[in-house]
Amino acid sequence: MLANVNVLLLDYALGSLKRQGGKSVFILIVLSLLIFLLASVLMIADAIKLELNTTLKTLPQITLQRFVAGKQTNVSLSRVDTILALNGVERVMPRVWGYYYFKPAGVNFSIVGVDAYEEPYKKRLSELTRTFDLSTLEKEGGMIVGEGVKNVLQENYYSDFFNFITPKGERYPLKIAGVFHSDIALESNDLMLVPKQAAYAIFGMSPEEATDIVVHVNNPVEIPTIVQKITERYPDLRAITQDDLRISYQNIFDYKSGFFLSLFIVCVFAFFIVIYDKASALSSEERREIGILKALGWRMSDIVHVKFYESFVMAFSAFMTGFCAALFFVYVLQAPLLRSVFIGYSELKPPFRLPFSVDVKMIVLLFFLSVPVYIAATLIPAWKAACLDADEVMR
Amino acid sequence: MSLTPEIIALLLLDAVFLFFGGIAFVLSARIAWRWRSHETTELQYALHRQSYLVSVIINYIFMLKIPLFAFFIYTCDKLSAIITGAMCASGVVNSVDFGLYLTLFKIVNLYVFGFWLLLNDADMNEEKLPFTRLKFVLFMLFFIPLFAEIGLEIGFFTSLNVSKIVSCCGTLFSAASTSSISLLFSVDEKIWMMIFYGCFALSVAAYGSRSPLASVVSNLLLALFALIALILFFSPYVYELPTHHCPFCLLQKEYFYVGYLLYALLFAGTFYAAAGGVLDLVQKRYTKRFYNLSLFFNTLYVIGISLYPLSYYLRNGVWL
Amino acid sequence: MIRLHHVYKRFAQGDEAIEALSDVSLEIAQGECVVLRGASGSGKSTLLSLIAGLAQPSSGEIRVLDREISKLPEHLSALFRRAHIGFIFQKFHLIPGLNVEENVIAPLIPANLPLHVLQEKARAKMEALCIASKAKRDVRRLSGGEQQRVAIARALINDPVLILADEPTANLDAKLSTELIEHLYMLKQSGVTLLIATHDPLFFDLAFVDRIIELKNGRIV
Repeated sequence: MLANVNVLLLDYALGSLKRQGGKSVFILIVLSLLIFLLASVLMIADAIKLELNTTLKTLPQITLQRFVAGKQTNVSLSRVDTILALNGVERVMPRVWGYYYFKPAGVNFSIVGVDAYEEPYKKRLSELTRTFDLSTLEKEGGMIVGEGVKNVLQENYYSDFFNFITPKGERYPLKIAGVFHSDIALESNDLMLVPKQAAYAIFGMSPEEATDIVVHVNNPVEIPTIVQKITERYPDLRAITQDDLRISYQNIFDYKSGFFLSLFIVCVFAFFIVIYDKASALSSEERREIGILKALGWRMSDIVHVKFYESFVMAFSAFMTGFCAALFFVYVLQAPLLRSVFIGYSELKPPFRLPFSVDVKMIVLLFFLSVPVYIAATLIPAWKAACLDADEVMR
Repeated sequence: MSLTPEIIALLLLDAVFLFFGGIAFVLSARIAWRWRSHETTELQYALHRQSYLVSVIINYIFMLKIPLFAFFIYTCDKLSAIITGAMCASGVVNSVDFGLYLTLFKIVNLYVFGFWLLLNDADMNEEKLPFTRLKFVLFMLFFIPLFAEIGLEIGFFTSLNVSKIVSCCGTLFSAASTSSISLLFSVDEKIWMMIFYGCFALSVAAYGSRSPLASVVSNLLLALFALIALILFFSPYVYELPTHHCPFCLLQKEYFYVGYLLYALLFAGTFYAAAGGVLDLVQKRYTKRFYNLSLFFNTLYVIGISLYPLSYYLRNGVWL
Repeated sequence: MIRLHHVYKRFAQGDEAIEALSDVSLEIAQGECVVLRGASGSGKSTLLSLIAGLAQPSSGEIRVLDREISKLPEHLSALFRRAHIGFIFQKFHLIPGLNVEENVIAPLIPANLPLHVLQEKARAKMEALCIASKAKRDVRRLSGGEQQRVAIARALINDPVLILADEPTANLDAKLSTELIEHLYMLKQSGVTLLIATHDPLFFDLAFVDRIIELKNGRIV
């Protein structure tokens, strides 16, 4: 019955929405706002997930960290050869890296030590290092920084070099030899690539040590076995695999968007009641109109149809408005305020742009979360209106 | 359990259906109990209005159920990317013991509620409203599979374990599978194909004989054997792989989502004859429109599905 | 045309049952013009509602055009009204915010007819009543006389065989009342059956009124 569309009834419903004026506008605004919020959150979550997944793909298969008294400490370089001797291990690389807190801007930079003669442990890093000549970097005391870092430094009047302060309180200047751009902003925006010996100096580390060790294996299926062998040999090493990271990140984001959605469902419930109330409260004019129409030969189903069209038009236009507003808010304005819900560390990280990711699935999903729910809320009020006695207009 | 937004959306709508279904159930019980079609008291007047509300609710549920069924399969398809071992929706559906029953309930409910709406229309067109009591008694019966479906769906999503390794469709739909499907493989697939065309011929004959009963029976058989023949005989031609027998992969992008079209045709064709036929049996008459529609959709389905082996044969000169 | 057989209508008001109509039997032939006379609260409007199928009698039988309208379910009685009955209400009861044409076609909007068919029908009626030039004007911006003609055009849009008028001259000045009566006369000439519920004395000695039925406390006097 609801399937065949009667264009004239639809037109009548549009006119009726127009005549209700303020009430329609109020509902439209609230509904659009709700859909906008929901769409924004889903879009941000999707975009960040996409970004993380791309980042995660580039992470090392196994990372080994040494823990002493529950705190991560440096690993002795002597272990590298022992691990390399294990069957199935393809490459082992000690890494020197860490965070450098830059007080004036209140941000943390990620410092990674690179070596011209060592193959970098990440694909992306190797792409970066290929475009810049690392050996000259070492000779001239230079570094390569991410775009975000460059901007922060420039704001603080460091345009061609930067003075690191070592733990001993000495200055350690490095020249900004190059700036790299990356499509995956989250990963590399706060990155500084410095020569290895500079990294040792900045962190005040002994050259016999490394921050952690990265292991590559020939066959990914063997990862658990190799992890077991390593931890048996060195019980103080903790191994983190790519999968561990992926799952923990996934959990954080599912938890956050799930939490938000639960809140949203509470909102929807409240809105459901508001709509039910608004749709039930018919003005005397509306009651009279329905009475007239019934006396003129409209069936209950005709009235319900008009009400259904009204709700559908309302919900659909709110859906479109909310969705488009969210597109604009998230991808053009880069979701101010809301994105910090998802990236807790955004205050410490230099800013990055959200990659565009909207697909049919998202549109369908938003549709199902909004339009049918709104229509459901107006179903019973529509029926109640259709049940009004027509002979009221006869008195 | 993983609460992805898709699952939350499906669960939210389940809650809405449960709520409205519950209202409709209570009203139905009242109407079935107290309906007196020859009386004109205020109570009967009120009951008539309430019966209209029930039909509005069922319309709403049915209208949403059709796209939601597609959305459910689509969600399972998406989940197959997360769940280890699953290649398409079938792996996800079968990762929970009752996944297959859930899908079956969903299909049965489409037929059942579609039939209810046809009955409702027939009832409303008669001055005496002859089927009012019948349709509400029926609705109370139909509420059970609806309730079962919603319960199973909630159970399905809560027990869905992302880290569990499941079988892909290649093993589920093969002779090696331990399920009842493997039994079907013990019969030569050409025989299933012939039974399928036989059923179609039977439904055409039923159309010619103008007998509602024959149409109902032949179309129910057709629906059943079309599915079996699809799994055993036709699907390898769609995938052009002799061992690939999955009825879900058809719904994927690689095959141009052709499954959605084929299943819709098969559903429409068998539904009109089966549901319309039952209705005609109840009303003791013959509504030509139902059977025309049925024949039309069934024929489209048969042509569509037959094109796959034919074109394969024309291109390669051999049968799979 | 219309036959009422021992019709009763009771309303429950609080604990009391009010009898709005008791034992009303009457018959109206095709093409007759009948005036239902009585003070307000005498049951005139209730009787019209029952004949139109807007309400159902507590007991008794009502047949209109040989259909037992009192037994029809709500949606079928609505279809019956749409097909055969025209309504003229007290104070016209036009729908504010719609223009003249939209008001005139309102009864047939759910009928699933193409718009141009409805517009042609409406045009014919509006021309007959000299309001075609105002077709696109909001009914709230019409004079009383024009509104009255819109109401009549609306009642005629479905080419009814029976027109029910409920206090059509209440709230009208003398000039408009006379105009309305002229319209009713023309309708009567065209063969339509008219049933007018009123307590306006203007109607009581009109030449074209075939019969006057007086209602008092729900009974025919």
